[in-house]
Amino acid sequence: MTVSPSQAAPARSIRSRIIGRGRDHAATERAVLVLHDVTKTYPNGKTALEEVDLVIPEGDFVFLVGPSGAGKSTLIKLLIRDEIATHGAVVLDGQDLAKLPRRNVPKVRRKIGIVFQDFKLLPQKSVWENVAFALEVTGTPRKKIRPAVDRVLALVGLTAQRHQVPNQLSGGEQQRTAIARALVHDPRLIIADEPTGNLDPLISWEIIQLLLRINDLGVTVLMATHNADVVTALRKRVVALEEGRVIRDEVGGIYHRVD
Amino acid sequence: MIGFVVFSLRRAWQGFWRNALMSLAATATMVLMLLLLAGFWILQTGLQASLDYTESKVEVVADLKDNVKQSEVDPILARLHAMPQVKSVEYITKDAALVQWREHLKEQGEDDLTRYLDVNPLHASLNVKLVNASVFAEVVSALRNEEPVVEKVKEQQHLADQVVTVTNVLRTAGTVILVVIAFIVLFIIVNTIRLAVVARAEEIEIMRLVGASDAFIRWPFVFEGAMVGLLGAALTLGFLWIAADPIGHFMVGFFQVLPLSFGALAQELVILIGGAGLGLGIVGAWVSVRTYLIR
Repeated sequence: MTVSPSQAAPARSIRSRIIGRGRDHAATERAVLVLHDVTKTYPNGKTALEEVDLVIPEGDFVFLVGPSGAGKSTLIKLLIRDEIATHGAVVLDGQDLAKLPRRNVPKVRRKIGIVFQDFKLLPQKSVWENVAFALEVTGTPRKKIRPAVDRVLALVGLTAQRHQVPNQLSGGEQQRTAIARALVHDPRLIIADEPTGNLDPLISWEIIQLLLRINDLGVTVLMATHNADVVTALRKRVVALEEGRVIRDEVGGIYHRVD
Repeated sequence: MIGFVVFSLRRAWQGFWRNALMSLAATATMVLMLLLLAGFWILQTGLQASLDYTESKVEVVADLKDNVKQSEVDPILARLHAMPQVKSVEYITKDAALVQWREHLKEQGEDDLTRYLDVNPLHASLNVKLVNASVFAEVVSALRNEEPVVEKVKEQQHLADQVVTVTNVLRTAGTVILVVIAFIVLFIIVNTIRLAVVARAEEIEIMRLVGASDAFIRWPFVFEGAMVGLLGAALTLGFLWIAADPIGHFMVGFFQVLPLSFGALAQELVILIGGAGLGLGIVGAWVSVRTYLIR
C-alpha cells in the first residue's frame, strides 16, 4: 500500500530533487518543498521530528495527519522558518531555510500562504482591510493592492462581505477571509493548519472545496488535519506522522492506517 | 522610501486610535512620570540656587589698622578686585562702622553706649564676598599679605569649611535623587509602552507570517511611541505652564532665593520634558517590538 513519494511526482528520483545546491534547476522547480533527513530537537531535549524525508512537488495536494504531539506543528514551524532544523535540510522553492540570512526570511514567507484553525484575523479591520494588510505590510504599492485584493475576494466568494468586520461573519466566512489573505501574495504553497478544526461539517466541506479549487489553479496545498472523513473521502496524498517520524506516505490514502 | 514613511506614519496614527484606551493609558502614565521628573528637576534647580546663595553669604572680613589712609586702601581694593575668587569688596570706614553699629544697637533696642566715648573704637574693615566658599583660605592669605594695612583677618575658616561640606553633600544628594527618579521614570514608561505593544502581539505575529520585513513591523510602533511621548510631553508642559505662577512663588518662599528666574528654568524644562518624552517613547517602542522580532 505504501508508495514512495517519488510516485506522487512524475519522473525524477527523490535524490535529484533534493536540492538547491545542485545545478538541476528543472528538478528544483518541480518540488516546491523538500525535507531531507530532518531532525528537530528543542532546547529542552525533546525531539519533535526525526529523520523526516518529504518531497512535495508543484501542484500537489497533501494531507498531513497524525495524533496530537506527532510533530505536525513543528513541521509547519520549520516550513515557515519559525524554527530551524537541528539536522537535515528544509528546502523551500530551491532555498535551504537553514542557510537563509534572517533578513531574507520575510521574502521566503511571502511564497507561503498560511491558514490557521483560529483564523488570526484583525478584529478592527474589515474583510477587505484584513486581506489588503498582507500586501500593505510587505510594501506593495497601493495601486497594486486594490486589484489584487478584489481578485482574491472574488475567488473565495466574499466580494459582498468585504466591508464587514470579522465578528459580523460566520466561521466559514472568517476562514475564507484568512484563505484570501494567504492567497493574495500569489504564494507557491498554501499551508493550512487544521483549517476546519473550528467549523461544523458542512462548512468544513465548503472550506475543503475552496482549497481544492485553489489547488486546481496550480497552487500547492499542504493541509494538516484531524478530519478523518475529509481525508478518507478525497483519496489525496496522505503523509502520516507519529512520534516525529513519517510512518506512512501514500497517494490515494485514507486517514487511518490499514494493516 | 517616502512610501514607507507615509505607511509607517499612517499605521502609527491608526494604531494609536484603534487602541485608544491603551494609548491613552500609556500617555497618562507618561504625563505622571514626566511631572514627577519635572517636579524633582525644579526642586533640584531650586536647591542648587539656594546653595549658591548660601555660599555667597560666606565673606572674609579684615579689620584695618587705625589711621590708614584712603590712598593706602585703594591699591588693596584694586588687587582684591583683580582676584578671580573675589565677587565683590566693600570698604567700610571707621565712621561708617560706627554708624552701622549704632543702627544695630537701635534695632536691638539696646542703649547706645558709644555716645559716652571720645574716640571711635571701631576698626575700618574690608568685607570681601567670594565666588564660592571653597576659596576662603586663598582670600584670607591674600589679605594677610597686606600686612602694613591689615590689622587682622577674622578667623572663620571652620565655618566656611562647614558650609562647603554641607552644600557639597546636598548637591550630591540632589543629583543622586534626580538620577534615581530618572531611572524609575525610564523603567515605568518603557514598561507601559511594552504593555501597549504586547496587547497587539497578534498583529505583529500576523505581520511576520505574511512576510513583513522587520522595518515594516518596527517603525509604525516606533512612530506610535514617539506620538505617545510627544503628546505626553505636551500635556505635561501644559500642566506646568498652568502651574508656573504658584511654582514660582513656592520657589521664592521655600528656597529664599530671589535671583532664580522661572523663565530661564522654563526653557530648560521644555527641552528636558520634550526630550525625555520623545526619547522614552521611541526607546520603549523599539525595545518592546524587538522582543518579537528576534527569532
